[in-house]
Amino acid sequence: MCDEKQTTIPALTVVIPVTERHDNLDELIREYHDALSTSVERLDYIVVLDGDYPNGRKELEDAAQAGISLEVYQMARQFGESNALSIGFEKADADLVLTLPAYRQVETDQLVKLLEAIETCDMVVARRWPRQDSLLNQWMTRIFHGVIRFITKYDFRDLGCGVRLIRGRVLAEVNLYGDQHRFLPMLAAHRGFNVREKSINQSSRESKVRVYAPTVYFRRLLDVITVFFLTRFTKKPLRFFGIVGGSLFVIGGLALAVVIIQRLVFGVNLGDRPALVIATLMVVLGAQLIALGLVGELVIFAHARNDKEYTVAERLNLD
Amino acid sequence: MGETSLIEPALDLSIIVPLFNEEENVELMFEAIVSALIDTSYQYEIIFVDDGSRDRTAELVRTLCAQNPQLAFIRFRRNYGQTPAMAAGIDHARGKVLVTMDGDLQNDPRDIPDLVGELDDNHDLVVGWRVNRQDRLITRKIPSMIANKLIGKVTGVPIRDNGCSLKAYKASVIKKVPLYSELHRFIPAMASITGARVKQVPVRHHARQFGESKYGLGRIYRVLFDLLIVKTVTRFASRPLAGFALVALPVLVLALVVLGIIVGQAVSGDGPLVVWSAVFLQLMGLGVFLITCGAIGELVFRRSKARVHELALLTSASTTYGNPNPASGASNV
Repeated sequence: MCDEKQTTIPALTVVIPVTERHDNLDELIREYHDALSTSVERLDYIVVLDGDYPNGRKELEDAAQAGISLEVYQMARQFGESNALSIGFEKADADLVLTLPAYRQVETDQLVKLLEAIETCDMVVARRWPRQDSLLNQWMTRIFHGVIRFITKYDFRDLGCGVRLIRGRVLAEVNLYGDQHRFLPMLAAHRGFNVREKSINQSSRESKVRVYAPTVYFRRLLDVITVFFLTRFTKKPLRFFGIVGGSLFVIGGLALAVVIIQRLVFGVNLGDRPALVIATLMVVLGAQLIALGLVGELVIFAHARNDKEYTVAERLNLD
Repeated sequence: MGETSLIEPALDLSIIVPLFNEEENVELMFEAIVSALIDTSYQYEIIFVDDGSRDRTAELVRTLCAQNPQLAFIRFRRNYGQTPAMAAGIDHARGKVLVTMDGDLQNDPRDIPDLVGELDDNHDLVVGWRVNRQDRLITRKIPSMIANKLIGKVTGVPIRDNGCSLKAYKASVIKKVPLYSELHRFIPAMASITGARVKQVPVRHHARQFGESKYGLGRIYRVLFDLLIVKTVTRFASRPLAGFALVALPVLVLALVVLGIIVGQAVSGDGPLVVWSAVFLQLMGLGVFLITCGAIGELVFRRSKARVHELALLTSASTTYGNPNPASGASNV
């Protein structure tokens, strides 16, 4: 808008996962198309319906009638957004993929900013800024990202935004499953890719107050735990299980020693003390955690020769 | 990458040097290696592995690469640690013999020919030990002395100096050894999975000229856990159920002892049964849990490439006795 520097991208595939929350897809895709078609030579869309949405299908047919290159896939039942995205990524053949949400998250006229930013990196994620949400939602977002940053050391400020421009080489390496789509930028950065965040305006239509069910917050908490393990301990399970289990084991062991010495030296009865049960419980729990950590290590060892933990950016004189 | 191990090695020697922010040392290191090998007849390559340096390391190596075809370069996308850097070098190496060393000039490349010379029919792995180690006594030398003793005791592979990166390996052996996480300190122990036979040779050691040492005291607990890992995978990787059952056994015995106490007290009719019963149940629970862990371990290894027969080192070529189909050598006639 402000400057006339026109970036043109030869080919771009837009992947739109459609879940229960979606706007009129015909209008939405036209809007996306208007924003992107001037900067992209070959632009096609892959829409993955996560379940059966008859109205959505009809809207998509309308969009296709209007001459937009569109492929639609529908999953037999709901498999979740990550799996819908994965299918989209598999079908996409352009070297550059843009994921867009099925409802309005951002002002579409700003999408071009991402196309400009990708030139120097592997992935650009949009950050909705300034926010139009209710204060409650803004605070929840802030707390969520603060916790994530504390745990992973990766500083992303809007993981909930589904607008992401990704190079094919990133998609070839990063596997998504479960609820991990939110952490795609993090998983990419963890594989050593250069991921940038770009602020674009939040859609004014997203501004209405949303009250989420408590289960949503519980799911976010699960997300935090998932990302904690994915980024910190996938290669070193015993580091985590060992430090927790080891401390429990040592504390329990010391407590056990104290009650046994009291029995032997001072003649304090052993069998009627809850302290004995608590100490044993700690030792047992500690041993269980360490054992689980070791099982994890066996898994890593068993696969160490199949998947390498390093990623190579450059090779010279090796052919 | 993985296929390289199947191809007949093209060179005699590959020297693998992991680098992390070593801009002062890179060029000196390269020259030192080249001049150490100039009097030998080895066909060699040097592999510099840049482990996500943030300084000019990569730039300097690129310049060197352009002028020296015997220098190969692998750059990681980000910092992964010394073990993955060594593993990458090993995966890509094309020599019959591989040598690893630190990139900070504390190892002396002049020791390379001696180390390589020690590899023979009976030794697959030659480990350097730093005779006059040039490091701080309290924070570096004493902890590592204790660690080396402990590692030797636990793994059953007594090595004087596990921290010395300067080592020479037969490529056929080291390429089989799974190296990941921070296990480079345990290469001799990990290599013992394959049955590799180790020899130790004194090597020179210099004080750091440039840069900061990248280790500290904070790694003690890591070494302890790594030791537990190495012990588990080297002894029990091929039969995890047996390993876990071995630990479960004393727990179950202890549970039976506690059961005895309960029965004794029940018979005599006086005594707090509840507390002892709780202890008994916990111990039984732990015993069963451990055996279950072993069973899961068996599942993990069912289709793994890390089963022992895939890793095992064959020390002599196959001899055929009365084989109706003669081996390739004879069929050429």
